[in-house]
Amino acid sequence: MFTSLQLHLAKVFLKIFLRDRQSIVFTLLFPLIFTGVFLFSSGEPDPIKLGLINQSQSTIAADFSDLVIDEPLFEITQGDLQSLRQELINGDQTALILIPTNFKQEEDSTQITLLLDASQVRQAGAIEETLNRSLISIEREIRGIEPMFNLEVEDVQARPQRYIDFLLPGILAYMLMNLCIAGSGFNVVEYRRRGILKRLFVTPIQAKDFIVAIIISRMVIILTQISVILGLALTLLDIRIAGSLASLYGMVIIGTFIFLCIGFFLGSLAKTQEAIRPIVALTTFPQLILSGVFFPISALHELLQPIAHALPLSVIVSGLRGISNDGASLLSFNLTTIGILIWMAISFFIATKYFVWKEVAN
Amino acid sequence: MLGPNGAGKTSTLEMLEGLNDIDGGVASIDGLDVSKDTHQVKKIIGVQLQANEYFDRMSLSELLLLFGKLYAQDSNPLELLTRVNLEDKASAKPAALSGGQKQRFSIACALVNNPKVLFLDEPTTGLDPQAKRNLWQLVKDLNSSGMTIVLTTHNMEEAEYLCDRIAIMDQGKIIAENTPQNLILEHAAEPPKAKLHGNIEDVFLALTGHALRD
Repeated sequence: MFTSLQLHLAKVFLKIFLRDRQSIVFTLLFPLIFTGVFLFSSGEPDPIKLGLINQSQSTIAADFSDLVIDEPLFEITQGDLQSLRQELINGDQTALILIPTNFKQEEDSTQITLLLDASQVRQAGAIEETLNRSLISIEREIRGIEPMFNLEVEDVQARPQRYIDFLLPGILAYMLMNLCIAGSGFNVVEYRRRGILKRLFVTPIQAKDFIVAIIISRMVIILTQISVILGLALTLLDIRIAGSLASLYGMVIIGTFIFLCIGFFLGSLAKTQEAIRPIVALTTFPQLILSGVFFPISALHELLQPIAHALPLSVIVSGLRGISNDGASLLSFNLTTIGILIWMAISFFIATKYFVWKEVAN
Repeated sequence: MLGPNGAGKTSTLEMLEGLNDIDGGVASIDGLDVSKDTHQVKKIIGVQLQANEYFDRMSLSELLLLFGKLYAQDSNPLELLTRVNLEDKASAKPAALSGGQKQRFSIACALVNNPKVLFLDEPTTGLDPQAKRNLWQLVKDLNSSGMTIVLTTHNMEEAEYLCDRIAIMDQGKIIAENTPQNLILEHAAEPPKAKLHGNIEDVFLALTGHALRD
């Protein structure tokens, strides 16, 4: 399958990597930090910080504010309007609830004012909704009314799924892309700048030997990293993977192949060490947004969706998600499979065809 | 090959080595057309480039093994290093070598495939006199073992001492090509009665002029 040159060269690249203590430390540190971030952010959401100003003397207002204080979703500070308003402007409070002086009638509905800082307006929707829901249940308690119905969300596929289960395959794919492009693109530009590639090219080596060798060596490194992340995710974050681990690894290997090849192409496109960074950023950032890493592609504008679906990161994300969330097999044939095969062919073609050995004069 | 900076010496070498496209004319090495049989040509030439950087964190003998593999051969690093007087540096990294040692190591790398033609691009630039003499001796030895050596240089003494034939290049053209003796006879200033009165530097300046080049 591989020539002895390709294997020897792969061994050389692995040796170079393993002898670089600093990069090993960071390589192992990265999955740990990654898991750590999730470990601390995926628990209970932080309570919303609210300031409560009760201007009413009525008992009902006192009852109401007691219930608001007891609400676990809120962290309440009581005080007067002036000092709390300052705290809101300083960003110490997310919003203020103002109970007006006329808050006493039980029949008429009373206006409770929510004061917000415009700079935090993005959160406003979420707070308003949570607040409204809490206020309704508080009202029910005060009035002693039983709720008429309860909304229970049930997954038709009967798999409990949290956001993190959705997120992990996306993050995994995005990480894969970054690791790969750093491993091929940046390396190639550096080797070319120093004339190492040129020296290799005056021997009978071919671009595909060089590319295959880097792919093999990077594959070993990346699979190790991914194994650490997966191991931690499965044990510490209690991630459930519906499909088989073999399929998941298969998809990771395919993704590594595609992204390394894209990295080689970008490395050949970039003439200098300075140019490679913006070129890589320009290819990876839009994909982070468009490829359904954080939210499904269906949430994008309709015109963008077909483009988004065709991106290399999208096909890997949806492949990984299919295996991880829906229990698909690597061998099950669908639209994603076609996308993957097409990207494998395109990426290997552009990587070998446009490979530049020599420093190109500007 | 002698020539002022920018004359096209390196470009010419790179065309012969298959690194640069040949946009006009024909070049052949050992009967092989360089632009058609590039892959075959690469198998019979050895190359030392002006910039000689190698992968970091690899020892000299590991690098020589790798270069052997590039020619599908099992090379003998120690033997190659002995040929260039670096046998005690087998486990050193290229970064730890002095300028002269680096150049000799480059030549060792160029010798892994036992080439018919060895290309050296300014091999003694930046070397101290001892290292320079040492390298000259190495080149002489390789040449007397039957290897054809093509080298570029700015050093007239070097050209005169090492070369059987000298081509002087300027502005992309070879403007004179002959044995050192004949070049001196034909071009050195003031026709002499004595056979050899000038040196190659006189020839070089007579042909390329005194104007400063970049």
